[in-house]
Amino acid sequence: MAKEPVRVLVTGAAGQIGYALVPMIARGVMLGADQPVILHMLDIPPAAEALNGVKMELVDAAFPLLKGVVATTDVVEACTGVNIAVMVGGFPRKEGMERKDVMSKNVSIYKSQATALEQHAAPNCKVLVVANPANTNALILKEFAPSIPAKNITCLTRLDHNRALGQISEKLNVQVSDVKNVIIWGNHSSTQYPDVNHATVKTPSGEKPVRELVKDDAWLNGEFITTVQQRGAAIIKARKLSSALSAASAACDHIRDWVLGTPEGTWVSMGVYSDGSYNAPAGVIYSFPVTCRNGEWTIVQGLAIDEFSRKKLDLTGAELTEEKELAYSCLS
Amino acid sequence: MAKEPVRVLVTGAAGQIGYALVPMIARGVMLGSDQPIILHMLDIEPATEALNGVKMELVDAAFPLLIDVVATTDAMVACKGVNIAVMVGGFPRKEGMERKDVMSKNVSIYKAQASALEKQAAPDCKVLVVANPANTNALILKEFAPSIPEKNITCLTRLDHNRALGQLSERLKIHVGQVKNVIIWGNHSSTQYPDVNHATVTPTNSEEKPVRSVVADDNWLNTEFITTVQQRGAAIIKARKLSSALSAASAACDHIRDWVLGTPKGTWVSMGVYSDGSYGIQSGIIYSFPVTCDKGQWSIAQGLKIDDFSREKMDATAKELVEEKTLAYSCLN
Repeated sequence: MAKEPVRVLVTGAAGQIGYALVPMIARGVMLGADQPVILHMLDIPPAAEALNGVKMELVDAAFPLLKGVVATTDVVEACTGVNIAVMVGGFPRKEGMERKDVMSKNVSIYKSQATALEQHAAPNCKVLVVANPANTNALILKEFAPSIPAKNITCLTRLDHNRALGQISEKLNVQVSDVKNVIIWGNHSSTQYPDVNHATVKTPSGEKPVRELVKDDAWLNGEFITTVQQRGAAIIKARKLSSALSAASAACDHIRDWVLGTPEGTWVSMGVYSDGSYNAPAGVIYSFPVTCRNGEWTIVQGLAIDEFSRKKLDLTGAELTEEKELAYSCLS
Repeated sequence: MAKEPVRVLVTGAAGQIGYALVPMIARGVMLGSDQPIILHMLDIEPATEALNGVKMELVDAAFPLLIDVVATTDAMVACKGVNIAVMVGGFPRKEGMERKDVMSKNVSIYKAQASALEKQAAPDCKVLVVANPANTNALILKEFAPSIPEKNITCLTRLDHNRALGQLSERLKIHVGQVKNVIIWGNHSSTQYPDVNHATVTPTNSEEKPVRSVVADDNWLNTEFITTVQQRGAAIIKARKLSSALSAASAACDHIRDWVLGTPKGTWVSMGVYSDGSYGIQSGIIYSFPVTCDKGQWSIAQGLKIDDFSREKMDATAKELVEEKTLAYSCLN
């Protein structure tokens, strides 16, 4: 007996990330090869024709799992009954814009999206915010959708997590699927802290710590960190466009592991509402190592944090606190 | 015990279709979720940086099935050892270009690629040509790679096939998975013939029925349905300001997957293949037929009744393909 379809919303669906993301969702990458989906796609009125073009292509692809497509510029229609919401839409930074301007535009957007989601989404809707500034957009959404459980509002740092795995796999010349348990702490920005202190590699003689195999602490504490932090800019430089393929793929990984559970012995990184674990500031959306089971994430506790890491965790936490203040000042 | 990786080449990989296609391949959409892949990506010099950007993103996506990525502007390196080749790269039609100019540019490209593939690809490499004019590019490739079995050289009409299924599903307000066995005959161009005479729909909790009787509107099926499918590419360009990438990439995966893993029982698909004279279509062109696939081989579904209306359309698209062949050869001289 086939499963009931799940409604998945993608905002900003007419854009680059949306275009990469929707075929992944329609093929079962996000929720499994046996889970039918109904796609809700939202974008702004200037993108209505392009959005319809995406809908047409989804029909043209004859996806077996895709049971329906709702393409709309009406946020209420878009949010109605959705079980999963991937918020890709946001105001991109343009040349000459100050950080405060970008923040200001985006907090307005996320405040109104919060209301629509709260009023119209299905109960227990899981939310993933992708649009930058991801952590703070997610925080605003949480603050203005108080009836959505705080634990259901997350932001994407899985892209940074996957990028870190990729960099280690390239350094060690191993399969990326043999590397695990890196951690991305904090903000999805250049203050993120990619931490390999608990990461391991599967070898013929068992799991080994990454630090031991790489044997290059200077690289792990220096270039590795900056490469992961600045990878977004490196992609823009090469492609003349920002990451869409890898961001969309990471969004699928984030939701899939959240809904279907993380493999035994493996954690992933998710931006979640901080409860003050590891002395991160409470009341911000902060990226932590989490395991997932039965549709719930849980912060992995008890990991040793050395002095080097402590400074970095605090730095990114401080930035998130500043962003929160800036965001609130924009709303006043 | 994990399977040995399969090498899949995508040409034009730095472009729009390539960008949609490579993550699909890397996730197992093309060859199955248990088949490890080594991706070969080829593009031209001016696209080197962009191509490297795509490679970087593939690394950043940490795909479990993706064993390695070869990103290069050297066709010989790109073709080395490949088991599957998806030829997306080609010269796009620009404003002011005549059909002969587009044809001329593309036959040169496909003649050169034929040579590289023939020398470097793995034995029994399966080739899918996507770049337009797809059928004729595939034909040129076949002619200049004589040691590649002609049955291994195909072109994409699965996009049109899927579009036809989609149109019927919208008309009947039924899920597309319940419609099957449309046929796209001929050229992947505006002369293609989307034929529903043998297509069926299986309504929920009911038995399989002919599409014609359920749609109950022969006029629509013989006119608007056909032109909608034929001109769908243009409609997408009008809406998106860019040509179809998502649906083309998806169709390329479907084409290869069904070819390699087999079509479901009772179902055929449409593929542009080297004509053997079936259905009165002359041999020596790449023509889209209904095919079933088993053990990595396609076979034309034989014995289907062809009415007068269909006959005319099938012949018209064959005629265009013969003209294209003549034009292509004239460009080479």
